[in-house]
Amino acid sequence: MATVSANFRAADARRPLIGKRSLADWLLGAVAGIVFLALYAPIFLVFALSFFRTRRGEVQWDSFSLDWYGALFSNAEIAQALVFSLIVGFSATLAAIVLATGIALYASVPQRSERTRAVLEFLVFLPFLLPPIITGLSLLILSREIGLPRGFITISIGHTVFVLAIVYRILLTRIQAVSRNVLEASRDLGASRWQTFRYILLPQLGSAMAAAAMLAFALSFDETMITLFLVGDESTLPLRLYAMMRVGFTPEINALVTLVLIASVLLALIAARFIRGRVGDIEP
Amino acid sequence: MNAARPSPLSGLAVGAAIWAPLLALIFAPLMSFLIYGFFQVEDNQIQRTLSLETYREALTNPAYMRTFGKTVLLALQVSLACLVLGYATAYFVWRRPARWRAPLLFLLAAPLLMSYVIRIYAMRGVLGANGLLNGVLTTLGIVDEPVTAFLFNLTAVKLTLIVILLPFATLPTFIALERIPASLLQASSDLGAGAGRTFRSVVLPLSLPGATVGAMFTFVLAMGDFLAPELVGGIDGFTYGRLVFTQFGLAFNWPLGAALSALLLAVALCVVFGARAIGSARWRR
Repeated sequence: MATVSANFRAADARRPLIGKRSLADWLLGAVAGIVFLALYAPIFLVFALSFFRTRRGEVQWDSFSLDWYGALFSNAEIAQALVFSLIVGFSATLAAIVLATGIALYASVPQRSERTRAVLEFLVFLPFLLPPIITGLSLLILSREIGLPRGFITISIGHTVFVLAIVYRILLTRIQAVSRNVLEASRDLGASRWQTFRYILLPQLGSAMAAAAMLAFALSFDETMITLFLVGDESTLPLRLYAMMRVGFTPEINALVTLVLIASVLLALIAARFIRGRVGDIEP
Repeated sequence: MNAARPSPLSGLAVGAAIWAPLLALIFAPLMSFLIYGFFQVEDNQIQRTLSLETYREALTNPAYMRTFGKTVLLALQVSLACLVLGYATAYFVWRRPARWRAPLLFLLAAPLLMSYVIRIYAMRGVLGANGLLNGVLTTLGIVDEPVTAFLFNLTAVKLTLIVILLPFATLPTFIALERIPASLLQASSDLGAGAGRTFRSVVLPLSLPGATVGAMFTFVLAMGDFLAPELVGGIDGFTYGRLVFTQFGLAFNWPLGAALSALLLAVALCVVFGARAIGSARWRR
């Protein structure tokens, strides 16, 4: 309830800004319109090309078919890459959740010094803030130095460090929202630190972990530039697409991308529901 | 978290379990790549004798420096375009009635869900001679015949990067706008300021730092990107990221690639620290 009324107040407060339409407002609307068009024109194109054929670059609007979707399901290379991407995504997500939970708990201990926390967070955020090319080539060089062959392990490590920052951020925010009194009460009543984590903290972290996991998985599933440095014999889906694009593209890719986009949007909506649902639970 | 004081030994073990993976997976790789820059390649073999030769070559070769300058300029133009277009769009969405805001915001973020490679590929369809852009321009009569100058050059790289990186600019701007206390807007209007005055004196100063941080992020990403230049850039769109990537592929000169990307790392770190300063300055004021 509190959030709803706050939103109403905020909307009212913006009313003076909305006012009567001036030239600047029309200009603003035009720029926003162009931005939305620019964002969605490429997506629309892929969507259309998954159902229609083209002749000399022009879409034939009378050629609706699901042929590309049929072709997609008989393309073994793509299926292989898709499965590999899913496996990498799950592994990297799991590793990032475990690691980030540990780091977030470690960082939120009250007696931890400000400096330690700053160094810790700097390291955690680095692979997300630096250009992916640097994360990719530095992991490539290290894995060569220690004799680790390129493949599933190196890609999973690359994805784990890349998504770590996002997962850490989401989990830390939730951990800080959990009342310290409840945790101290648990300890006072004789629960061990593990029991306090398992029965008091973990249940409250659940939805944040789910949201973080979905986001991490989505990032891993799409990661291309780090992966290019770390890939071995088996390709992930984006790398397979990249390779196909360079030698000539088959239209069933459009069908695949459409399906992946629909799945991602659904996942994102579910994730958003998760986050919002919890916020609603906490607030009086 | 710990009401009772943990024993020093278990504290040490926990510390090691947290720091070891971070140092091994994030710090050590960065160090090893910086060290690689001190190696050289002779006869396709990496020579592990330490010298400044490779770094000197990477930082003084005029061809590399030209590519670097060109890429900095490209990234500046891309991030500036993202700042202006992203700000306008975020401000537009922010001023819609409450029920429109969430769906519009979702529409701004949703392109991020689409495969990066595919979005670049789709931009080929938009920018190509038979593409959407030319279709619109010829239909409107702005040009007589399709313009081929949109694809496989530096302009194509710019346009593609702007479209791809825009969400990274709009979303932080929107968050900055949302953080402006409603009471300030109310006060401004109560004191007789019109929409324009409130925007100039209240909204813009409070939201610009957040928007700038977003734009700086797009600058770093544009600097290091090599996929968009490779796929839509042609020969003209040879950027620093591509130069580095080539050293790990065809050219097979890892030490040179490492030395070249040390400059990229330095630029990225400067921007990250700059963004942090801007971000925290906002709270001091």
